[in-house]
Amino acid sequence: MAALIEARDLTKKYGAHTALDRANLTIEAGRIVGLIGPNGAGKTSALRAILGLTHYEGQLTVLGREPFRERTALMKECCFIADVAVLPSWLRVDQAIDFVAGVHPRFRRDRAVAFLAKTQITGKRRMRELSKGMKTQVHLALTMAIDAKLLVLDEPTLGLDILARRAFYDALVNDYMDETRTILITTHQVEEVENLLTDIIFIDKGRIVMDTSLEDVATRFTAVAVTADRLDAARAGKPFHERHILGKVVLYFENADPRQLEGLGEIHTPSVADLFVAKLSGGAS
Amino acid sequence: MNNSTWLIRREFWENRAIWMIPAVFGGLLLLAALFGQVSLPRLTSPHESEEAAAAYLVAIGAMFYLVMGVYSSWYLLDCLYTDRRDRSILFWKSLPISDANTVLCKLLVGMIIVPLVYFAAADATALIGAFILSIRARASIGSSLWNGDIWWQVQVLWMYAIVTTAVWYLPVAGWLMLVSAYAKRAVMLWAVLPPLLLYILERVFFGTHLLGQLIGRRLTALPSVSFNGSNHVWTHGGGVVDMGGAPIPSVWQLINPSGFFTSAEVWIGAAVGIALIVAAIQLRMRRSEI
Repeated sequence: MAALIEARDLTKKYGAHTALDRANLTIEAGRIVGLIGPNGAGKTSALRAILGLTHYEGQLTVLGREPFRERTALMKECCFIADVAVLPSWLRVDQAIDFVAGVHPRFRRDRAVAFLAKTQITGKRRMRELSKGMKTQVHLALTMAIDAKLLVLDEPTLGLDILARRAFYDALVNDYMDETRTILITTHQVEEVENLLTDIIFIDKGRIVMDTSLEDVATRFTAVAVTADRLDAARAGKPFHERHILGKVVLYFENADPRQLEGLGEIHTPSVADLFVAKLSGGAS
Repeated sequence: MNNSTWLIRREFWENRAIWMIPAVFGGLLLLAALFGQVSLPRLTSPHESEEAAAAYLVAIGAMFYLVMGVYSSWYLLDCLYTDRRDRSILFWKSLPISDANTVLCKLLVGMIIVPLVYFAAADATALIGAFILSIRARASIGSSLWNGDIWWQVQVLWMYAIVTTAVWYLPVAGWLMLVSAYAKRAVMLWAVLPPLLLYILERVFFGTHLLGQLIGRRLTALPSVSFNGSNHVWTHGGGVVDMGGAPIPSVWQLINPSGFFTSAEVWIGAAVGIALIVAAIQLRMRRSEI
């Protein structure tokens, strides 16, 4: 089967500013992919292009379609939550369900109702009366009741407290994800999604810096915490990043021979957050 | 129900003013009929009765029509802007509904459905008002406000006015929607300033005011294009006026559909309106957020 999302030389310019600079990426079905990058790296531009919300240059197919030209058809098989705070304030919960049920052929009302039954939210409430966490639950109920192949989440938990964030991701993994679905998440809170993801894509200054599965991270990347006296020996292995921390130096290696690193210090697999910092800042920090 | 039906329902959910303003306005008129001072001239001849009935219905219709014009303009100017301002456009765009469908449904609401709501409200107000007035002023006006024939003629007048208004003001609606899809803030200024600026530039550099005439004519000339020349009701409507015993013209004499629908001015305007609406759809596809 062809890739679910395939981008070649995807470019998006806003006047003189280039938000996406010939980005290439491939996302296979059944994965949970994190698109991770600092603010202004081009995450949102990439998602907007994938969702057909903006015009772009380069080639892009999502579920075999051209997003900008075929957004309407694409949205039958793909849904997205772009910041949870976007449900309009005047909309009532039951109206939201009625509307989506009316216009979306793959929406299953019973699922949305069952999901909301587990919460405190009643049908007659308007969005303006709900807390941000409750709005998230409504949006999630609507989205998860859609039998979609691709779910795109853009900073889905921005502005939510820790309880609401945890509930959001738990619901996503337990009630939604299965092998027929694919989820693409952008966030800059890397730690929170780290153990959820199967793949990570790092993006910086409009370019894809790294695109790998998490299984590969363990074999590709090694971090070694060395003391000052062994620093020179360790540096001979050409680390791509150094981090000074509590009198030790953590060195990050890519595709290093593990035998070479043995004896230099404590060896571990870097976390996604560490890797992110290491990859994006380069050199010493 | 298809997507368009849902989109139209959605407009009623969002804009409760669509029916609340005519309801409140009608309510105020009825309060005036109930408690206001009624000093009507004594109607003696059947001819005067007919005049009174026609003037009464047309006056109520004209008042609703004016309020409707103001509300519809505001609605069209606001409709593509609000959901960009509160970012709820990102929710609407996550659903399989095309931007053309959304924009055209909003246009339909602003140009046809809102007028129909006002039409219904005007009718309800006229009927209840006639009931109140004929009880309160039985001695002077009797049952003259209950004139079935004239009532039907005013229905025709309303329908004709709705259709011609929609066609005639299509370029204005298109402009308002284009601004609504484009502006990042201050839609009102965006709607007014560019034409004003062009008008001033034209005056300064060419010494002409073609654009001003064009816009002025578009905003005011609908009655003269859609109705026949001798329009007593328009000049005398709004009060019971002695028309010197001349028979009041029937609605079929007043309206001028063949003139209206064969006027080049009408269709050039409509074409401009369609172009502006196509542009608004294109902007809606590209401009998601403010």
